[in-house]
Amino acid sequence: MSFDDPSESTHIADGSSAEHPDGETPEIDEGRYLYCLVCADEDADLEQVGVDGEPVSLVTADGIGAVVHPTNELYDSADIAEIRRWLVRHQTVVDAAADRFGTPIPFQFDTILRGDDDRVREWLRTEHGTISSALESLTDHWEYRIEVVDVDPISDERLIEQDDRLGKLQARIDDSEDGTAFLLEKKRDHRLEEVRVARREQIAADLEARLAELVREVHTLERSPTVGLADDVTDGGADGGETYCRLTVLAHADDEGAVGSVLDQVAATDGLEVRFTGPWPPYTFAPELGGDRSSEESSGGVDDQPGGRVP
Amino acid sequence: MRPRKDDEVLVDVLDVLLRDGAIVRADVIVSVADIPLIGIKLTAAIAGMETMTEYGLFEEWDLERRRSAITRRQYGRRDPEVDRSEAISVGSHSSN
Repeated sequence: MSFDDPSESTHIADGSSAEHPDGETPEIDEGRYLYCLVCADEDADLEQVGVDGEPVSLVTADGIGAVVHPTNELYDSADIAEIRRWLVRHQTVVDAAADRFGTPIPFQFDTILRGDDDRVREWLRTEHGTISSALESLTDHWEYRIEVVDVDPISDERLIEQDDRLGKLQARIDDSEDGTAFLLEKKRDHRLEEVRVARREQIAADLEARLAELVREVHTLERSPTVGLADDVTDGGADGGETYCRLTVLAHADDEGAVGSVLDQVAATDGLEVRFTGPWPPYTFAPELGGDRSSEESSGGVDDQPGGRVP
Repeated sequence: MRPRKDDEVLVDVLDVLLRDGAIVRADVIVSVADIPLIGIKLTAAIAGMETMTEYGLFEEWDLERRRSAITRRQYGRRDPEVDRSEAISVGSHSSN
């Protein structure tokens, strides 16, 4: 899916520029770009260069700090390289805040709060209960992402040896005339596919069950690999294989080693490669703030996002 | 094994930034018709990729909702949803 009408796309793209007073991109008289929320005292600070080179600061209220920079516009671009640079800066700032203050509540890219620092403080105080309990609950918990790839698929011959039905089918094929053999081969190929899918699903289900015993939450992601922003980045060697599963887990830092051990066992299986990344800020497990105001309106929206926070 | 967190795997989380993270529902958040707004150009750029299904935020319903909300603003038809975001001024950049 994409914008089908290039003229419309162009029109929208042009809309945010100063030459187009009828543009659609909202302008903000004064706003604060939000990176994350952390536990921080009143006198704490954080010096970082933010998205688009903006100076980052920490706005605190009642023991909670919002990592922000001032902005009067939304970050919008059709240039993937520029988007990537922004995203990397966003992630770098959140990482720096996490190093300094512990597990943050990370915001989605381009979350902008209208108003000045005082308005941010006011909002922190309004949401204090939700934010502080979420921060407390996430303390020392991080998101880890896991991908299991079959880089050396098991051969048909081995599957035929291992599966009774396949063995019998193969024996009948070997004893049959051409016409009958052709039909039996179709059956065999169908069975081979069934066995392969069952193997994949079994490995994924076993892994998920074992991880669920170790971590607070496990979410299953789409099997298709993410390549969208990887144009000029090596994707870590997951090429050339079939992805068995992609998972993201919320785990305590102390359990990282145990998760790694489980993954070692999966990686010991012939042909399987495991990609394990993290610790990341808990993006997938971040709470919704202020969600009681328009739950009905939002019911068909953000909450239903595929690959989102609810498996 | 130990988890990796280097430049090579950073991309693993970049698309997550566009899709996940804390969602804020509050009048103070910049939005169009109550949807936290990720830039239209950015949305279109990402939407043009083959990985559309990876981007929950960019599903068809979402683009359509954004576009219809924008259309309402553009043609001056207001509804309660849009009124909630009336503090957003649409127009030329007057400040920097």
